[in-house]
Amino acid sequence: MSDLGGYRAVIPEDAEQSELILRINHEDPDLLMPPSDSGKRLTDQEKKILANWIEQGAKWPEFWAYLAPKKQPEIIPGDRDWGNGWIDSMVLRTLNSRQLTPSPRADNVTTIRRLHFDLTGLPPTIEQIQRFLQDDSSSAYEQIVDELLASPHFGERMAMYWLDLVRYADTVGYHGDQDHNISPYRSWVIDAFNDNKPFDQFTREQLAGDLLPAPTPDQRIATGYNRLLQTTHEGGLQPNEYRAIYAADRVRNISAVWMGATLGCAQCHDHKYDPYTAKDFYAMAAFFADIDDEQHFKVGTNSLPTRRPPELLVISEEHRQHLNALDRKIKLAEKESRSLEEKNKKLDGEALAQGKKERDRLKSVIASLKGERKKIESLGDWTMITQALPEPRVVRVLPRGNWLDESGQIVEPAVPEFMNPIKTEGRATRMDLAIWLTDPSRTSGQLTARVMANRIWFLFMGSGVSPSLDDFGGQGEPPANPELLDSLAWDFIDSGWNVKQLIKEIVTSETYRQSSVETPHLRDTDPYNQLFGRQSRYRLPAEVLRDNALAISGLLNLDEVGGRSVKPFQPAGYYQHLNFPPRTYKQNEDQRQWRRGIYIHWQRQFLHPTLKSLDAPSREECTPKRARSNTPLAALALLNDPSFIASAKIFAEQIQRQSKGDPKTGLDFAFETATSRKPDDAEKKILLDLYQTCLSEYQNDPIAARKLTTRSLLDGEPVDADQASLAAWISVARALLNLDETITRN
Amino acid sequence: MPQPIHTEPSNAIQRRTFLNRAGVGLGAAAISSLLAADESRTPADSVNHRRLPHFPSRIKRVIFLCMAGGPSHLETFDFKPELIRLHGQEMPESFTEGQPIAQLQGQALKIQQPLCTFSRHGQSGIEFSDFLPWQSKLADDICVVKSMVTEQINHDPAHTFMNTGTAISGRPSMGSWITYGLGSETQDLPGFVVMTSVGGRNPQPIASRQWSSGFLPSRFQGVEFNASGDPVQFVKNPAGVSRLAQRRLIDSINQLNRHRNQLNQNPETDTRIAAYEMAFRMQTAVPDLMDVNNEPQHILDMYGAKPGDGSYASNCLLARRLAERGVRFIQLYHRGWDHHGDLKKYMGICCGHTDKPTWALVEDLKQRDMLKDTLVIWGGEFGRTPMFQGKGGVGRDHHIKGFSMWMAGGGVRGGSTYGATDDLGYHAVDEIVNVRDLHATMLHMLGIQHDRFTVPFQGLDMKLTGVEHARVVKEILK
Repeated sequence: MSDLGGYRAVIPEDAEQSELILRINHEDPDLLMPPSDSGKRLTDQEKKILANWIEQGAKWPEFWAYLAPKKQPEIIPGDRDWGNGWIDSMVLRTLNSRQLTPSPRADNVTTIRRLHFDLTGLPPTIEQIQRFLQDDSSSAYEQIVDELLASPHFGERMAMYWLDLVRYADTVGYHGDQDHNISPYRSWVIDAFNDNKPFDQFTREQLAGDLLPAPTPDQRIATGYNRLLQTTHEGGLQPNEYRAIYAADRVRNISAVWMGATLGCAQCHDHKYDPYTAKDFYAMAAFFADIDDEQHFKVGTNSLPTRRPPELLVISEEHRQHLNALDRKIKLAEKESRSLEEKNKKLDGEALAQGKKERDRLKSVIASLKGERKKIESLGDWTMITQALPEPRVVRVLPRGNWLDESGQIVEPAVPEFMNPIKTEGRATRMDLAIWLTDPSRTSGQLTARVMANRIWFLFMGSGVSPSLDDFGGQGEPPANPELLDSLAWDFIDSGWNVKQLIKEIVTSETYRQSSVETPHLRDTDPYNQLFGRQSRYRLPAEVLRDNALAISGLLNLDEVGGRSVKPFQPAGYYQHLNFPPRTYKQNEDQRQWRRGIYIHWQRQFLHPTLKSLDAPSREECTPKRARSNTPLAALALLNDPSFIASAKIFAEQIQRQSKGDPKTGLDFAFETATSRKPDDAEKKILLDLYQTCLSEYQNDPIAARKLTTRSLLDGEPVDADQASLAAWISVARALLNLDETITRN
Repeated sequence: MPQPIHTEPSNAIQRRTFLNRAGVGLGAAAISSLLAADESRTPADSVNHRRLPHFPSRIKRVIFLCMAGGPSHLETFDFKPELIRLHGQEMPESFTEGQPIAQLQGQALKIQQPLCTFSRHGQSGIEFSDFLPWQSKLADDICVVKSMVTEQINHDPAHTFMNTGTAISGRPSMGSWITYGLGSETQDLPGFVVMTSVGGRNPQPIASRQWSSGFLPSRFQGVEFNASGDPVQFVKNPAGVSRLAQRRLIDSINQLNRHRNQLNQNPETDTRIAAYEMAFRMQTAVPDLMDVNNEPQHILDMYGAKPGDGSYASNCLLARRLAERGVRFIQLYHRGWDHHGDLKKYMGICCGHTDKPTWALVEDLKQRDMLKDTLVIWGGEFGRTPMFQGKGGVGRDHHIKGFSMWMAGGGVRGGSTYGATDDLGYHAVDEIVNVRDLHATMLHMLGIQHDRFTVPFQGLDMKLTGVEHARVVKEILK
């Protein structure tokens, strides 16, 4: 609306004189907007809307996502209202305003399945379902919610999502894609969710745990967050270039994860849609200029793992003491050895021979002490941590993002200029940034609450209140129910950033408990389920899908929580394109291969093919919302991946045992184990036909039966001698593990 | 994110997902008219690819022969007599000052003469080095672009740049863009297929992000076909499961899904049924494609292919078979061109692996009358320095300011060269073609106007050719 040199784009209440209106109607194609060669055109209807808007005063409210969430007046539910709390009241009000009503509750089996998948990423057992179905008490549901929130698998489920956001991976990402040491960070994230660490503290420890007074080992492990970016270990790298690449990587991630902002767009120029400037981008990068992350330019090798100091050895207290003792001994022995050397110089003859002998003895002592030290070290895990440099790197604005151009102004750490500033004396630190991001009393913290509350809602409803989980900017979509989103944000803040409490509020609402069956009317009026008049249904995420198959068969190994990455079966040669060094995948052949998907070795350049076909991201960038594709490659993985075949085999052995000679009994058991419900007559018939046909075929072809029942990947021999029957059950098990219903959360 | 991809629970979207996959045989035009009916159901959808192609296309498919590691332009197509005259002398600083340098950082920069001789071929008289006796027979079929430039000097980012138009990760590769825009003409195979081979100096790693679909739906990602093991991951049935048994299994799964879906009426389930159908078809189509035993001996000999050996020669033959079956974008990598040292020996090895098969592929397409609607592109992610590097014998470092690529087929002016580097083969000086121009030209040949082929992502209308100016190099087209 400002003067642009004799004219203004918009003159309120005067459409005719507004340049905007002139230009969208211009006859000269060179002056017409949008440009005639852009392939975009405004309709007459759209032009009229713009003109009307100007005539009505061209009101331009501040952008919703940069305004602090509003506290909503408490809703007092009416008598005939639906639901049991403020979430339901808000959802209902919006639905009613569009002449819609909520969907009925899902049936109990669907509900309990949904709850288990959502809170732990695991299916319920038949016993867990029975218990719920038989408990008529009004508190039965809430009791299960509490139990699941207290389960150690809750942390694993939440960490799966967090690791997508912060782009956790086991390899460096660029060029040789070597392994790096970081799995203790994953364990820390799991523990943090299990311990219900408040989100503000969770934030501070990751961004700046090293800057806390006397940080604990755990707090230092948390700072692994700052080291999760992709690095290169390619010979011939130009340090300045990668300095710029690393800085940009960090800015993209921090702004995406905590601010829902696409600050990365301001690397080369001011943001095209949002008020972020290029200077904001580099000022944000400056917060991280003190991170010691360049040692690998010199020492990063092609070894596995590569070297990316600084690292911390994560080890038990007992082992740590042992190490300290060894270090003292080694130091002593080395000192003695040195003085012996000096002494020997002055000797000759027999005395020298004696001295040399003594020196050799000492040397072997040192070697054996060092060997012992190594052995103990190997019991622990190294993990990358953040260590501040004494002098932060100088950060300049890079004109057009060009790292060769050093003419740009030097910037100090600062938050985007249009937002509330950090109040601090001297140079602002990562800790200041962490506090600013989660300060409940200031807009900046309240915006973070809204970004995160939206994502937590997404995890339990299948879509965000604002569908743009990754972009709360001008190009994102505003929430269809802003009051609901703001209230979720405030609830999160007021609870003291209590993640479990927010989740409990959501999953105990009637909104959550609705059926996911779409009526044609709902599908027409609200195709994207932005008003939440139903639950969502979608294919399980990659890791959960695998966990589910392993859990159904009983193969899933839930012995520990956290720990090192594991390597389940993967086709030979899948890493053939990796080099520096060439890679051979060494599969874990013990129980480790049956651990949960969250622990699978995450090779950025060649993610496990089954996970990849099911839309698990490479973790090069922040991924708040995975795609949910449905492709032939995914079908092939579920049908033929040997891990799934192994699941089918173990499942089949169980079915065979349960059937006790009566295939119908076996079928009932199998179907219920896979889908949590009993099959209807049509389903029974289809599966029984499959079983009978396969049975007679395998009876006629014992060689095929033997091949199919061979326990590859598994220990021991098949339990039953009736291979034809077992092979037929394997076919049934494969069908069940591939059923739409088995692999869908609804 | 492009809206239609990520807002799943919509009838409209799922119908489209279904159509794109199940109805690929219908042709892009038919699909786009079917999709138009759904338009009102896709809010905020500004994906304009439904109007593709923007104009009649010259080609149906692209075969990109990527010589990974960066072959030397100075030992293939760009003969520089000045390098012989000045051999061993210091490289004038006027050339190198302020320029990015890879492994030669901080070392003396000495001029290195060509390690081969050159001669002219065909009616066009295009110069080829004696490393390329077979490709030189293509002198009147190809257009050599001698003025290529790129922006990335290390392998990984340079490949990313060549494939996606930017070094920023998470962007779709050109094969994904093209199959997204134009669909596929095969119902049984993926529209974008990648194959690799090795031989030469220590092979550069190649990341699967090079064929990633980035922010486009994952079904447009490149699918890697392997010479050994399963040609496509998990395409083989488990031991003891016959084709008939697998068919029956998939039938049972689909029957059960259809039955249950009477209750739920979920379009995504219909898509799943179609996906399982296509999976089954792929289980036949892929082995059939890979089985070259029915190729006549003279064709095998022409390529120098031995079935199942995983060589570049076999991959060239498979590329032709993929092209015949309607695959839209075929990319072959040969990894071994990173000649920092012992360049002469390794050029010999690399050319020994690739020269004849490359010729055979073009020749074979020609004799099947397919070259007219196929674009073949040959080149690496960058070229090599005019300066000496001695990492185990005479070699050359990475070089991005001028290198050569060639194109053939579908409307390319065969028997011509375009652009030039300076006398030392350092800077492209004449009619410079950057990677964006290459992309724009390729899209143009496919009937796509590069600056109108956009997908909204992170608030921008993303293009393969990015934000900086890109031009269609019309001069190389007939």
